[in-house]
Amino acid sequence: MAILDVKNLHARVQNREILKGIDLTINPGEVHAIMGPNGSGKSTLASVLAGRENYEVTAGTAEFNGKDLLDLSPDERACEGLFLAFQYPVEIPGVSTSYFLKAAVNAIRKYRGEPELDAMDFLKLIKEKMKLLEMDQSFMNRSINEGFSGGEKKRNEIFQMTVLDPSLCILDETDSGLDIDALKVVSQGVNALRNKSRGILIVTHYQRLLEYIVPDFVHVLRDGKIIKSGDKSLALELEAKGYGWLETVAA
Amino acid sequence: MTQTARPISADTDNSSGPLAVGPDFGRPWLAEFRQAAAKTFARVGYPSATDEDWRYTPLAPLTQNHFRTIPAAGAVSRDAIAHLSLASRGFYELVFVDGYFSAALSQTTGLSGLIEFHNFQGAAGGESDRIAKYLGHELPSGINGFAALNAASFSDGVFLYIPAGVTVDKPIHILWATTRHNHPVMVYPRGLIYACSQSRAVIVQTYADLDSDHPVFTNVATEVIAGRGSHLELIKIQRQALLGLHMANEAVHVHGSATFQSLAMNLGAVLTRNNLSVHLAEPFAQATLNGLTISAGSQRVDNHTLLDHARENCPSHELYKSLLAGNAAGVFRGKILVRPDAQKTDSKQTSKAMLLSDSAVMNSQPQLEIYANDVKCTHGSTTGPLDDEQLFYLQSRGVSAQQAQALLTYAFAGDVLDRIIDPAAREFISVLVAEALSRLHIAPVEL
Ligand SMILES: Nc1ncnc2c1ncn2[C@@H]1O[C@H](COP(=O)(O)OP(=O)(O)OP(=O)(O)O)[C@@H](O)[C@H]1O
Ligand SMILES: [Mg+2]
Repeated sequence: MAILDVKNLHARVQNREILKGIDLTINPGEVHAIMGPNGSGKSTLASVLAGRENYEVTAGTAEFNGKDLLDLSPDERACEGLFLAFQYPVEIPGVSTSYFLKAAVNAIRKYRGEPELDAMDFLKLIKEKMKLLEMDQSFMNRSINEGFSGGEKKRNEIFQMTVLDPSLCILDETDSGLDIDALKVVSQGVNALRNKSRGILIVTHYQRLLEYIVPDFVHVLRDGKIIKSGDKSLALELEAKGYGWLETVAA
Repeated sequence: MTQTARPISADTDNSSGPLAVGPDFGRPWLAEFRQAAAKTFARVGYPSATDEDWRYTPLAPLTQNHFRTIPAAGAVSRDAIAHLSLASRGFYELVFVDGYFSAALSQTTGLSGLIEFHNFQGAAGGESDRIAKYLGHELPSGINGFAALNAASFSDGVFLYIPAGVTVDKPIHILWATTRHNHPVMVYPRGLIYACSQSRAVIVQTYADLDSDHPVFTNVATEVIAGRGSHLELIKIQRQALLGLHMANEAVHVHGSATFQSLAMNLGAVLTRNNLSVHLAEPFAQATLNGLTISAGSQRVDNHTLLDHARENCPSHELYKSLLAGNAAGVFRGKILVRPDAQKTDSKQTSKAMLLSDSAVMNSQPQLEIYANDVKCTHGSTTGPLDDEQLFYLQSRGVSAQQAQALLTYAFAGDVLDRIIDPAAREFISVLVAEALSRLHIAPVEL
């Protein structure tokens, strides 16, 4: 069974159609990359999959591990194993990262019928993952993303992803804002999650990230549609030629 | 004392009305003080809705004449006020029942060795002279009719005198509780706090009603003098019954290099009007004014503050936050007055309201009056519902919508709680906030 099976997905925001018929299937173990010009609908697709309000699905279906994804609230989707690393993670003053993450871990465990983690076990878990992402422990006591640098926010997203252990990871431009070293560390974090049962969907503008996290499939999204799919060589081709040449292909 | 206050005449005409004055405890100065205040009330009357300072506050409920004064304290047991007491948290406690001091219910062991404290009625010669010297100075009866009424009518009051250099080891709690009367009543809590130079103290005043079936109109007047280099934290907890009315005039005089911090917690009463004015009288005086309002139903809270920068090099900070649910309405009106001599003033004012329903409303108005040229004054206000982006972020990690709302609401209030200096005060106020939020069906969060 596919982890994610999206068929003919149409969605609009404020009466404007943004997604115009997306078909995308992600099987266990696969890494997919989505590239495409600014404003083509990549983040919209990620948002619709994660269940953001104000995005109205007007046609099509999306199944997640066999369940109707569109029927679930955002928190249910997370509990079912979907994780979206945001392009622009929001700052939440006054809510400490550790309190929030413990609440998230335990909400997901409860949903799955697993016992909640106590403070000790939770600490052990996050220490291990912080090491993996070379993060300073002081981040845990700070408010979520408040005053974090752009790169720190992205790293924090991947850190949370490794803690929550999702079955589908959606990364929306996680590479933008990361310095060269951070890109390596974050890629290592993502690669550590790569396994036979997990699916990964990476939205990026740059081939560079895909050198570290090598995708099985690359898709080009343009004007709300996937106009071309291929293997990792497509990313190289896009890097060399841009998107212009696809105009004719799509037509 | 046989003399008791009689109610204000049924004639509540704005301009006049013979006003019965409160007891003078056999002290000519107090009789004079009362008479002068009664005259002042006859002259100024109640504020009117055309007065710019009062046009947002519904005056009708505050000027009704069905409230009766309370001739003597109602009977109340220690158990009946246990939920309001902070003695078990180690606070010194002075209890006033229906406006009258109760030595039996108070807990002052160890306090008399540190400071002088008296109720007005019990104050003997020298102490009484001192009250006479300061009473009404910071808060002249003429500022508005409610202050005049308080001065004319208070049944008793509290006087704290903290000698120079003394650090009061534990917070002092002044509890103003009203008992059951089976008809509308009014009380006039009056406080005079004098903190001498280099002294330190934390003072908490609570206003609460034991009768939730009949309205209590609490008309407060508090005067505070913070001497040179003193540190004073003054916390006000308004947790009256939901039918209650609360009017407070509070004035603070801050001397050079003194640090004054206040917190106004507004939890109860259907209508609250707070006037807080702080006079930064000498260089390097500092003031931090905080406020936290949690309202629902048809509650209404108007916070009016004045920061009067009279001299140079005085920083002031203001943070007033409101959590409004149901049809609650809030007003914040913060005036910053920078006088010509107040160069290098550094003043920051912030008002934030979180609206938990579509019908809650907030009105924030900064007022800057600046007559000096080398000053830094900033103000900002935000009003709005919970942030959708933040809610979605939390939910996208598995946290339920309800829990996400609770997290954001607690974080909003926590910002004010974090600023409370005294840890014991912070702890019990956190409990009060959790109780108030649970009444709004917000699940507990320990951030
Ligand atoms: N909430 C919204 N309200 C109005 N328009 C929106 C909203 N969200 C997205 N859009 C519009 O939808 C289009 C697609 O936006 P989206 O963010 O999905 O693009 P993207 O492919 O992620 O672009 P980028 O590469 O710049 O991140 C854009 O034209 C954008 O302005
Ligand atoms: Mg995007």
